[in-house]
Amino acid sequence: MTSLTKMATFMDVNLVRYLCTCGKRLPPCRLYLCRHCLKLRCADCVQHEVDSPYCPNCLENMPASEAKLKKNRCSNCFDCPICGHTLMTRATSQMVPSSEDPSKSTPKKMYYMACSFCRWTTRDGGLADQSTSNGGWKDEENPEAKRINTLLESYRSIAQREKAEKERKKYVKRRSHAGFQDRYGLTSVAMKWKIQPAMSNLSVKETEKVPPAPELVSPVEDFDPLPSEIFSDIVQLDKVTYLSHRLNAPEFQPPATKDLRPVHKHLLVRRSLRCRECDHNLSKPDFNPLSIKFKIQLIALNHIPEIRIMAPATFSVNKETVVTFTLSNPSVYSTVVKLLPIEGDTDLDYMTAKVDLPKSDLVLALHDDTAVYDDGTKAQQEFKDDPRVVVFRRANKLGFAAKVTPFCKEGEVKVSFMMKHEFRNTAAAIQSEDKEPKLEWLEHRIFINLGRIQL
Amino acid sequence: MSLFEGLGYSNDKNVYIIDIGSAYTKCGLAGETGPRCIIPSTVTNSRTGKVTKIWDYRSTAELHENLKELLSVLIFRYLLMSPKDKRVVVVESLLCPTDFRECVARVLFRHFEVGCVLFAPGHVLSLLTLGSACGMVMDVGYNETLVVPVYEGIPIMLAWQSIPLGGKAIHSRIKDQLLDGGVVKTSQHQDIPVASVPDSLTEDILEDIKVRCCFVTEFSRGQAIQDVVLRGADASKMPTPTPAIDYPLDGSRIVTVSGKIREQSCEALFELDDDERSVAALLLDSLMQCPIDTRRELSENIVVVGGTAMLPGFFHRLKKELDTLAAMPRYKQTLGVKTFKFLKPPAKENYTAWLGGAMVGALETLPSKSLSRDAYLQRGRLPDWCSLDQETWIDDRTVQRR
Ligand SMILES: [Zn+2]
Ligand SMILES: [Zn+2]
Ligand SMILES: [Zn+2]
Ligand SMILES: [Zn+2]
Repeated sequence: MTSLTKMATFMDVNLVRYLCTCGKRLPPCRLYLCRHCLKLRCADCVQHEVDSPYCPNCLENMPASEAKLKKNRCSNCFDCPICGHTLMTRATSQMVPSSEDPSKSTPKKMYYMACSFCRWTTRDGGLADQSTSNGGWKDEENPEAKRINTLLESYRSIAQREKAEKERKKYVKRRSHAGFQDRYGLTSVAMKWKIQPAMSNLSVKETEKVPPAPELVSPVEDFDPLPSEIFSDIVQLDKVTYLSHRLNAPEFQPPATKDLRPVHKHLLVRRSLRCRECDHNLSKPDFNPLSIKFKIQLIALNHIPEIRIMAPATFSVNKETVVTFTLSNPSVYSTVVKLLPIEGDTDLDYMTAKVDLPKSDLVLALHDDTAVYDDGTKAQQEFKDDPRVVVFRRANKLGFAAKVTPFCKEGEVKVSFMMKHEFRNTAAAIQSEDKEPKLEWLEHRIFINLGRIQL
Repeated sequence: MSLFEGLGYSNDKNVYIIDIGSAYTKCGLAGETGPRCIIPSTVTNSRTGKVTKIWDYRSTAELHENLKELLSVLIFRYLLMSPKDKRVVVVESLLCPTDFRECVARVLFRHFEVGCVLFAPGHVLSLLTLGSACGMVMDVGYNETLVVPVYEGIPIMLAWQSIPLGGKAIHSRIKDQLLDGGVVKTSQHQDIPVASVPDSLTEDILEDIKVRCCFVTEFSRGQAIQDVVLRGADASKMPTPTPAIDYPLDGSRIVTVSGKIREQSCEALFELDDDERSVAALLLDSLMQCPIDTRRELSENIVVVGGTAMLPGFFHRLKKELDTLAAMPRYKQTLGVKTFKFLKPPAKENYTAWLGGAMVGALETLPSKSLSRDAYLQRGRLPDWCSLDQETWIDDRTVQRR
């Protein structure tokens, strides 16, 4: 940050931070205000939730259950396996034997997909052109799927039995000793297949339920040696996939580019945020993926007064400097703000200067969306401002002066104080109709980094 | 009618299966045949763009923040399911340090508020993908190679072995060779030594050279190379080198990856060090620690997992190395086994353990084996049973070895 120019530094949103309820210090644009707990929250201390998944290309929502089934991928949109760019469908015409007269051929429209960025096409992957424009592209199937699923079925029914046995034992109140294998309950499953034949003649009923152990794979004794060409042939690097290409298709991981397949576009989700304490939503996006609106968006900036440094100042140790801050009111009600010093806290981590704050209350005018069209002649609310404290006032904003005296010899000039302000709780008002919103006082701790000591 | 019809499968509950490896993180859902994603175990700072490896943490506070970020990517970018009250299987290595696992638990339970977590040992999970309860599980990873014998479902803890040889060792071997005489061709048709631009050999470039150019050479060629390079045999004994590859460093510069680099870099895994140890010898050393009556069965059920084992030629070489080493005096008298057989899991080596996790996660017994959030919050940390047979034991062992 020190390398930035002074101007850029003073525009930095990170200079003024508010203390989040969780103890993190963040700029108010990164904080939320829960209208029910009346506490500040940040992305780190709220519960993130997945809203409905959608495809970023065709912008269609997909129900969560369907998304799960399709492994979070869109069935219609594809990415280039080389560069990740969205593939375009291209039409071409092919001569095919005519249906009326097989000796003649007629043109037929065929489709393939191509990347407009790196020029990869489905033909490079050895895929035949399709007769319909919307694909019909066959997905590869994991060759081991059957083997995995057979084994899994066997595990499942044994686990089922184990669970039933456990339930029964609960009543019999017999504690079996917990050996290592029982702790995870994993290996014991495989073990049972070994014990099973011995048990079979004892209790036919018991074993009836257990499926036979899956056919175990026969061990491999010899592996194929490297192909002899590897020692003699020149490698064409562009025919070898990158590791990232391979990992894009975890179950196939093709080493040769000719085996790359179009990748179904991965879905995205919009997140909603929920207060952990009261379970109310702090942010909920619109259902329509095309919309950039939110159903609920409780960003702190829209609810609590914002402090900014008006202009950069220079500081020297033990010398008083007057700094101007601006304070703006996002609320549609005029708001009283009190700035209170922090007594008896001398942690140099965030306080390296003494700050003399305005002793009187600061009254902020209400925020009016139409105020930008005013020519300034319209009668404003009268404020009896002390010109030594309130330097200027414009619409919902005012500038106030504070004297800062650094007590550190070098480094950053940091001040910290409390801001107490009125808050009209509109959430509570909704419940009790036409009543005035309830007036609350909120208190936030502010941390400001004013710049460096001049040496 | 199928016996399994009408069973309520717990995979309806969408169990997360997460394996945070030293180099790559594998993540997906229980009951599926492969992970949804395999991504680098790194986090990228959204403001500075700086990439940090998850395992390179200086404090648990840093690890905590980075794990939150990584898991958040996995959940909201790939799995797309709200984490609250979800069940999670965490695949972990025998060598996973306590602070790492405590941190994973803290992030999962406190930050993401998942319902329950099962920490499952990777070697046992790998065997499960084979329906087997017995075998030597060799994990050839990024930082090290680890061998754990499992007999009748129980890991023979006194016999595990590890050696710091894996993907990383190959990377540094490639780097050393490139710095020592490697040449970069620039767009101005100038040849400059690689040593003058060492920063261009990033970890990513080294990995890419390994994956796309290198291979594990044949046993006889490997021996001949080692004879010349390590044991001072005449240079004429060196096998004819494989063709070099012009490797583009970036748009304008090309580095020559010589046949020597392509063929010899992976020798790092198989050369016997001063203690006569290599990746192959590690397996025999582990076998030697096992009770004599278990060795035959173990040696005929070798399971190799880990991404580094996916290098072309690895299995063929390993088998030859084992045969040759076993005939050497130091093993011949005492080992008691001569044949080595391998089991091939229904998965690529780099996600075999994950697949085992995906199987366990799909079983109805999962909740009863897992640690619930309530139980965790009550204690504030992981209970002993989670680590009893692993950490405590490793600590003793480490002490003994020193
Ligand atoms: Zn917070
Ligand atoms: Zn789409
Ligand atoms: Zn492309
Ligand atoms: Zn709340």
